[in-house]
Amino acid sequence: MSDLVGKRPRVTARGVWRGCVEIAPIAAFTIPFGIAFGVAASTKAVPAEISILMSLAIFAGAAQFAALDLWHAPLPLAMLVLTVLAVNARMILLGAVLAPWLLQVPLARRIGALVFLSDANFAYAMAAWAKGETDAGILFGAGILMWVTWIVATAVGALAGATLGDVSRFGFDAVMLAFFTAIIVGQWRGRADLLPWISAAAVAVLCAAALTPGWHIIAGALAGGTVGAWRHGR
Amino acid sequence: MVDDVSATLAVMLMALVTLAMRVGGVWIMSKVAMTPRVEAFLKAMAASVFISIVVPSTLSASPRIWLAVAAAMAVMALTRSSLAAMVIGMACAALGRSFGL
Repeated sequence: MSDLVGKRPRVTARGVWRGCVEIAPIAAFTIPFGIAFGVAASTKAVPAEISILMSLAIFAGAAQFAALDLWHAPLPLAMLVLTVLAVNARMILLGAVLAPWLLQVPLARRIGALVFLSDANFAYAMAAWAKGETDAGILFGAGILMWVTWIVATAVGALAGATLGDVSRFGFDAVMLAFFTAIIVGQWRGRADLLPWISAAAVAVLCAAALTPGWHIIAGALAGGTVGAWRHGR
Repeated sequence: MVDDVSATLAVMLMALVTLAMRVGGVWIMSKVAMTPRVEAFLKAMAASVFISIVVPSTLSASPRIWLAVAAAMAVMALTRSSLAAMVIGMACAALGRSFGL
């Protein structure tokens, strides 16, 4: 480890490979989520090639599940974009945390390393960085393996979903709400979260009754964020 | 039924937005410092999006979905495993259906 100290942050092929190998056990855990997404998409009559394209191009599980919730003809494009924006806005924070490291890497490689940024390879790279790692290639390599795993698992779920018939027998119609509930509980940091969260819930419930479907998600997200910012430092 | 052209367009738009978020954090930090207040906004918003999806959908769903959400909440609080929460939530919804909930 000591030979890393003093070396400049960089991106190398060896780092990419190391990231790929070391994230493998964590990537395995995304398989059931990918399959669940594929099956859930098929219940929304999303063709397999479109759900696979989602995983390939978007590569963000929670945002993809949220998009399924709004998937009906004609597609509400503005709402889909805003919802994905709100769901993925936390990625800005991940990037901001990595900035002191990545800003020392040349621009093209820096953008490359960020293309596959997700919660998993972020957490992995942060832990490695704290231990003295300087090669940002590990972020990229770990991201690629997460990405490939996510696409393959989605394909399996999408193709299986088409043959399963009514998947509510297996509770698949509850998968998105159960997954999101787990995310919410996982983000609880203490009583300071209570007021922003209650505000979000209240605004969302009121707006769900009053606004065009989907906008209550944006309204609730903004309400929670605003209360959180306002509460900050009080 | 959603046609493939608008579906592809929607997916590409969502992908662009997501890419902007992935690259945006480092880019912003190269221009300005993130203020604690902006950070607090983004953190609170992250959870609020999911709350805004889950709470209204659950309230308007059937009792078997209430059961699934309650189970997912309890399992996540106890085990911190979102996979376990998802699987047990699904199992509760499936069980609830076989009991006619």
